[in-house]
Amino acid sequence: MDLALQLLFTGIGIGAVYALVALGFVLIFRATNVVNFAQGEFSMVAAYLMVVFAVDLALPYWLSFLLSLAGMALLGAVFNLGVYYPLRHRTFLPVIIATIGASILMANSVLAIYGPQPQVLEGWFETPGIQLGPVYLDSQYLLIIAATATLVAFQYWFFEHTLVGKKLQATSQDKEMASLLGISVSTMIMVTFIYSAVLGGLAGILVAPILFVSIQMGSTIALKAFAATIIGGFGDVTGAIIGGLSLGIIETFGAAYVSVPYKDAFAFLVLVLFLVFRPQGIFGERVAEKA
Amino acid sequence: MALLEINDLHVRYGEIVALRGVSFSVAEGQVVTLLGANGAGKSTTLRAISGLAKPASGDILFDGKSIAGLGPEAIVRMGISHVPEGRRVFPGLTVKENIMLGGSNRRAAKSELSREADAMFDLFPDIRKFTNSLGWTLSGGQLQMVAVARGLMAKPRLLLLDEPSLGLAPVIVQAVFRIISEIRQHTTVLLVEQNARMGLSVADQGYVLETGRIVLGGKPDELWGNEAIAAAYLGGHAKPLAANL
Repeated sequence: MDLALQLLFTGIGIGAVYALVALGFVLIFRATNVVNFAQGEFSMVAAYLMVVFAVDLALPYWLSFLLSLAGMALLGAVFNLGVYYPLRHRTFLPVIIATIGASILMANSVLAIYGPQPQVLEGWFETPGIQLGPVYLDSQYLLIIAATATLVAFQYWFFEHTLVGKKLQATSQDKEMASLLGISVSTMIMVTFIYSAVLGGLAGILVAPILFVSIQMGSTIALKAFAATIIGGFGDVTGAIIGGLSLGIIETFGAAYVSVPYKDAFAFLVLVLFLVFRPQGIFGERVAEKA
Repeated sequence: MALLEINDLHVRYGEIVALRGVSFSVAEGQVVTLLGANGAGKSTTLRAISGLAKPASGDILFDGKSIAGLGPEAIVRMGISHVPEGRRVFPGLTVKENIMLGGSNRRAAKSELSREADAMFDLFPDIRKFTNSLGWTLSGGQLQMVAVARGLMAKPRLLLLDEPSLGLAPVIVQAVFRIISEIRQHTTVLLVEQNARMGLSVADQGYVLETGRIVLGGKPDELWGNEAIAAAYLGGHAKPLAANL
């Protein structure tokens, strides 16, 4: 039982990272009808930005954190202007291929600068963690869970209680109608890309001290997050969060009770089961229209 | 000077020519109805005015200024509000949120839009009880009310209404047209209809479109008096043209 609680904590922590990246997938998909295959690279680039600021330049951790997120906002804007915007009137296929191209470009640019050796990033806190009864709460996992919960709460408030949030929802539901009402569709899509890049970046920064900072970390996280969006019901925001958390928990339990080497396989086994028996995902039955 | 003036408007969708030289005008304070069969170019005319379709040639003057080729966001800010075919109510937003977003062409705070949306329910009492229902849960008639209310939130000088009666039960159609006759007290309306009887009943002026051209125009009485038109669009009994319906 103690072990189960411990695993649950760890699983939620890692699942929260998948959920953040999955949210980025879903928000961009809903705004543009395109899956952004560079979403995982956002996490990878942000982790390397942390290495630049916190390790190479030895800036304070909080400052590096803010600078990295600002860098991600900028990257999101550039990504929109360079990858999506020129192709916005085309079908989904050229856009998807462009996002794959951008993801290769980002990975190889980082490779050219830092080489293939993984980098190490310390966690935010010096205290490694606290013992709470039978469960040991690692400080980095606590930070991940707290940051994700805060962000999900913020996002809920933003989409449900602000006018911009409503305009974003309207844009994702019917772009032509939104433009007829005077909503600037291109601005709304810009906001979506910036926010999704920051989300992906935040996931990368939070998970970096647990994994190594490597070129491959983006694709690993993105694959899991993509599986999470399908399990949750593609295009559904709640589904992305639930899907991400369940995937994190499943793979942690699977690794502990069944087999460590097959840790990654559990996530994809669940994905395959969903694709076969419930391809619409957990929340897929409802019309996916709520952001 | 007319509020809206359309001169020799041509619109193409790729190879397909949708409008081939349409000219007409709408005077301020009037209701003008465009009639015609499916594919005659009625909706395309409205889409060109609101900026959804780019004119290949010809001009569209609103209040004396050319708006041809401008984007829809710019045009709705100038005071033309388009309620498109199919209502297009945002399915995942509530009725009130849909209506509030109708004011997106103006700089208005959220609280102001909320007040105005509440006031809009006085004109549309039938949808008041659905204030917080999501768009997709509504029936066709209710959706049409929401769509028109949302269009009015733009405080337009010209309201474009595309087939508001389409797919509605007769009693609902009458309710919609009662609202149109209230709207006309303070807003100019360009109405597209297949239901010629209802469309002309509220109009000051009517035009008949056929395969991308205006073939006839005049006051409703004159149109009723034209035998061929009466037969084709107003439910008369001449045989050959009726096939066009």
